[in-house]
Amino acid sequence: MTSVAEIAAGVATGAITAGSVAKRTGEALRKTADLNATLHWTQEILDAQAARVDGLDPIGRKALPLAGVPIALKDNIVTTDQPTTCASKILEGYVSPFDATVTARLKAAGAIIASKTNLDEFAMGSSTEHSAWGRVKHPMDPARVPGGSSGGSAALVAAGVVPAALGSETGGSVRQPASFCGVVGVKPTYGRVSRFGLVAFGSSLDQISVFGRTVDDAARVLAVISGLDRNDATSAAEPPPAVGPARADLTGLTFGIPREYVPADLDGGVKAGIDLTVKAIKELGGTVKDVTLPHTRFAVPCYYIVAPAEAAANLARFDGVRYGPRKVGPEGDIRALYRATRGQGFGPEVRRRILVGTYVLSSGYYDAYYRKAQQVRALLADDFRRVFAGGVDFLLTPTTPTPAFRAGEKTEDPVAMYLADIFTCSLNLAALPAMSLPVGRSGGLPVGAQLVAPMFGEAAMLGVAGALEKAIDATREVR
Amino acid sequence: MSIRREDVLHVARLAELDVAEADLPRLVEQLGRIVGFVEQLNEVPAGEQAPPFLAGPAKTPLREDVVDSVPLVRPPASIAPEFIQGLFAVPRLGAMEGE
Repeated sequence: MTSVAEIAAGVATGAITAGSVAKRTGEALRKTADLNATLHWTQEILDAQAARVDGLDPIGRKALPLAGVPIALKDNIVTTDQPTTCASKILEGYVSPFDATVTARLKAAGAIIASKTNLDEFAMGSSTEHSAWGRVKHPMDPARVPGGSSGGSAALVAAGVVPAALGSETGGSVRQPASFCGVVGVKPTYGRVSRFGLVAFGSSLDQISVFGRTVDDAARVLAVISGLDRNDATSAAEPPPAVGPARADLTGLTFGIPREYVPADLDGGVKAGIDLTVKAIKELGGTVKDVTLPHTRFAVPCYYIVAPAEAAANLARFDGVRYGPRKVGPEGDIRALYRATRGQGFGPEVRRRILVGTYVLSSGYYDAYYRKAQQVRALLADDFRRVFAGGVDFLLTPTTPTPAFRAGEKTEDPVAMYLADIFTCSLNLAALPAMSLPVGRSGGLPVGAQLVAPMFGEAAMLGVAGALEKAIDATREVR
Repeated sequence: MSIRREDVLHVARLAELDVAEADLPRLVEQLGRIVGFVEQLNEVPAGEQAPPFLAGPAKTPLREDVVDSVPLVRPPASIAPEFIQGLFAVPRLGAMEGE
């Protein structure tokens, strides 16, 4: 397994061919098939993409920042040469007639789309157990979950099949599985990366995000997919975050630790991971101070109004007329067709969220739930604004309350599953950039620390993460 | 507030979603717990306000008023079950009076 930078440099100089990378990637996908991390891939498609890169002259190859680099895509990002199903029966067999902007940008940069990865259906879940094609297994312990909803992408990076992968975030769906699997997961500022071609879940929260084996792997991919896109009116006119070296030290930087993110009942291993990170920050010359984000405990309830409400509206388009398999209802009219198709096509978690979203938007309840959630969302965002205005450069928190949990542990209790996102979903609500960095192991399972930066502060955040990555041995037991 | 069986059936109808009779008791229980959980937001006083928050650019950028197409890898005719004279042909859904 080599890094994004090594593969791109090797292919650019001709030391290795993209064809050999494609062959190795296919072998690795076959060997790891038991993880159930991949929904679609073929060796032919891998080879065809590699041949396009190998067919360029040396000058052309050198101009490609991701020449021959295999990158897996979560199966809610559309591609023209492979299906996009969102792990849902309702989109079984669907092939998009256009590429997502991120897909097109990766291809233009010379990347090889390695596979389309398994996910919680329509990205709704925190364990990748809610896929119509079965759960994804944790690469280090098959009885455990890899996190979710981008569990397939996380598992492939952790298993060494690809050096980087794309997932999507609505409430933590990249940072949480990155933490569970011991890889880097970066959620950019809302608007940093175009959502054109990402199947919509919660439009004011969704953001395509990146997994990498290392900080540098993730940074190189993020730089390629970022930037203004006229097909997404919410994409920002900001230059992509530059790929730079890790900071040599953290002198002059202040890291805030919000006390609400380190509760008394926090898992001991996760707490030890944060303590270790604090020690590393101080040794590198940084300053650490306690801060408060007083509305934190309202983040998950706020999220579980806003996200299902937006999901109920976005998923209305899957009706058996425009996409996917169609079921004819017993009454034979158009509404019976909608109801039958949607009733049979969506899995239990998606149905639950559509019902909750419809309920909170329905007549008589809108003000009590949706309008209230918008008020609380503004308060949550204001908490972060105040902390950053008060002289804090970055925030440091745990990414998840526990290491990877066992499969089946939370599937019967939706609220317990929702609380797996307790430290991540506030950043989606506040639209801020954040990332998970592996900082150690507890009982053999990875634990992650979360860094949060002000709006569009990704380059600085990645520079800090690079310094901590060098200083911390993430393969060591933290207690 | 508690969720009743009629509430689930009502929102299922609004959401165009068939719900099997056998699934109803579980859905009533689960939706009740989820709604009970999100009602914690009522503890935030109505008067506690922050500047309105909107994800994304402060102003929606406007494009020139030019119609152009998203390049498709396959022509529309290959996506449609039937394509006649540039139009998608779909099954008839009803009849006009007098037809």
